Amino acid sequence: MNPAFLDITGASRSFGAATVLDGVDLAVGKGEFISLLGPSGCGKTTLLRIVAGLMTPDTGRVVLDTHEITRKPPHRRDIGVVFQNYALFPHLSVAENVAFGLKARGAARETIALTVARYLGLVQMTAFADRSIKALSGGQQQRVAVARALAVGPKLMLLDEPFSALDRKLREAMQIDLKRILREVGTTAIFVTHDQDEALTMSDRIAVMYRGRIEQLDTPTQIYHRPATPFALDFVGLSSRLAGTVVASHERMLTIETAAGRLCAPGQFIPGSPVVIGIRPERVTVGAGGENSIEATLIDIVFQGARVQLHFEAPAGGRLLVEAHEAPSGAAPGASLPLSWRQADTLVYPAPAEGGAA
Amino acid sequence: MSTTRRFDPILLLAAPAVAYLTVVYGLPLLFLLGRSLLGTGGFSAFAGFFADPFSWIVLGNTVRSAALVTLVCLVIGYPTALVLARAGGFVQAAILVAIILPLSVGVVVKAFAWQIVLRRDGVVSQIFTGLGIWDEPQRLLFTETGLVIGAANIFVPFMILPIYSVLKLVDPRLGEAAATLGASPVYRFFKVAIPLSLPGIITGIAFVFSMAASMYVIPSLVIGDRFQTLATLTGRSFLFMRNEQLGSTTAVVLLALTIGIVVASSRLSRRLGGAA
Ligand SMILES: Nc1ncnc2c1ncn2[C@@H]1O[C@H](COP(=O)(O)OP(=O)(O)OP(=O)(O)O)[C@@H](O)[C@H]1O
Ligand SMILES: [Mg+2]
Repeated sequence: MNPAFLDITGASRSFGAATVLDGVDLAVGKGEFISLLGPSGCGKTTLLRIVAGLMTPDTGRVVLDTHEITRKPPHRRDIGVVFQNYALFPHLSVAENVAFGLKARGAARETIALTVARYLGLVQMTAFADRSIKALSGGQQQRVAVARALAVGPKLMLLDEPFSALDRKLREAMQIDLKRILREVGTTAIFVTHDQDEALTMSDRIAVMYRGRIEQLDTPTQIYHRPATPFALDFVGLSSRLAGTVVASHERMLTIETAAGRLCAPGQFIPGSPVVIGIRPERVTVGAGGENSIEATLIDIVFQGARVQLHFEAPAGGRLLVEAHEAPSGAAPGASLPLSWRQADTLVYPAPAEGGAA
Repeated sequence: MSTTRRFDPILLLAAPAVAYLTVVYGLPLLFLLGRSLLGTGGFSAFAGFFADPFSWIVLGNTVRSAALVTLVCLVIGYPTALVLARAGGFVQAAILVAIILPLSVGVVVKAFAWQIVLRRDGVVSQIFTGLGIWDEPQRLLFTETGLVIGAANIFVPFMILPIYSVLKLVDPRLGEAAATLGASPVYRFFKVAIPLSLPGIITGIAFVFSMAASMYVIPSLVIGDRFQTLATLTGRSFLFMRNEQLGSTTAVVLLALTIGIVVASSRLSRRLGGAA
């Protein structure tokens, strides 16, 4: 594989006793759209600030386009940033905000005028060129912030939760717009979000971050269907868990003893290992006869429009979530029903160490 | 702008201040203005004042020394305000104490202290001769340079505090955003920090200029009678020359000067505030 366009190796950063980034490695290809997905406080903004040069890592290296930039000041990095609160210049108009970077780089007057017009057009803000920043809505400010960052033609765009302040409808519209704009311009982008749907719909690849580490870097499909860690399983999408112990392992197929019965799943564990089994709710069907099957008690039916969620209680207390298009006919809370799913959809993880969180 | 004009009850909150200022400040001011006009015949006092070349020297002294003091305060005060706004915890507390505590020392005491510092055998002279910058000890006392140095020291808090209070509210991400757009630190300073703190700068200039233009004790003690400003001339006219008409005329000219500065600066800062 050719060397990555952006290559972060072993980036660590602590504030006092708190380690906020703990040896992050991340390689991004040219033109790629990567999402950093993780809970609040996991170090996403810190990682972006290190890439942008607004903070230096304690250890580790950042290489952009074959040049090491770890200690290069931000104004010589050619990296555009869209800040979480947009950080537009309140003393300048919309057009002057977009022109700022070009002026700072001493571009010619005609070039500035043409470029500003082009990017205002791209974000559909041409009509607002002479407005004051204060007279813009959140979504409009967000567009200006994107145009301002793109106008200087950065090698890389960093976007820190740019849509978090917008309502859902506007957010979805902006997601589509942003993808279109970035595709037209052909910029490599890292997009920070803690909204899993946003990450799944927009990204070429997703980096799931947790406690200052990248837990998994993969395509949205892989992240969803093959989460590498229990945290990734939990954080992206809904899932159910059952605890069990591996009793046999044969040609990469495990037999696992759980309180609900024996289940089979692909994987490699030594017999005797305690494990956690994860299943996506839409992979489970009500009815007997699947590769893996258990009996469970229906405790609740939650109508969600296009789908219904069925909550089951497995023997020995485990909860199981099933998503179906409609509730099974005649089913009522209290009924004991068979549930089944494929072996290939059964995810197996080592059980968390005693006392440790998943 | 709205065309309907309704009385806003909030305005009543200003009533005590308005009443107080009318009695203790507005009325005496009217008497003063009346005195300057009535005397020997209407505006002739002003005509006489402006016809006298000495008046122009006094006016020049006033404006020049006040402008120099303001400039020195701005050059020293702006970076201090910048540090103060960015600093936190102990550094910030230390700077604030260093700025505010001296305000509790009377201006007469400070002016006397400057007399000692600026003498031919004072600290400044000793340091400069010691460093070889001056060939022989020099006296800064009784010079305009000494006056500007001493007055700037006394007025600099009034430059720092308004700038600081504006800078403190400026989002530090704006500077970072400018940096990621390719702006060098110098460009950021002139195109982001300065424009965003302009309202504070203007207020600081208005404060310091009007205080420096009307200072009386400091020039009296640091430079003496040979250097007359509108304020010292007003004092002399009333106290020594018993020329009430001259005194009230110079007082009114001084008042007009400072009102002009304050009004112009508040206009300017409102206009910039509207644009921002
Ligand atoms: N300058 C700083 N000084 C001390 N601690 C900091 C500093 N900046 C960040 N932190 C801490 O580092 C941790 C990670 O912060 P960071 O801003 O990177 O989180 P995040 O993943 O972006 O979270 P969010 O989704 O809430 O924005 C937090 O616990 C935060 O308190
Ligand atoms: Mg953040």
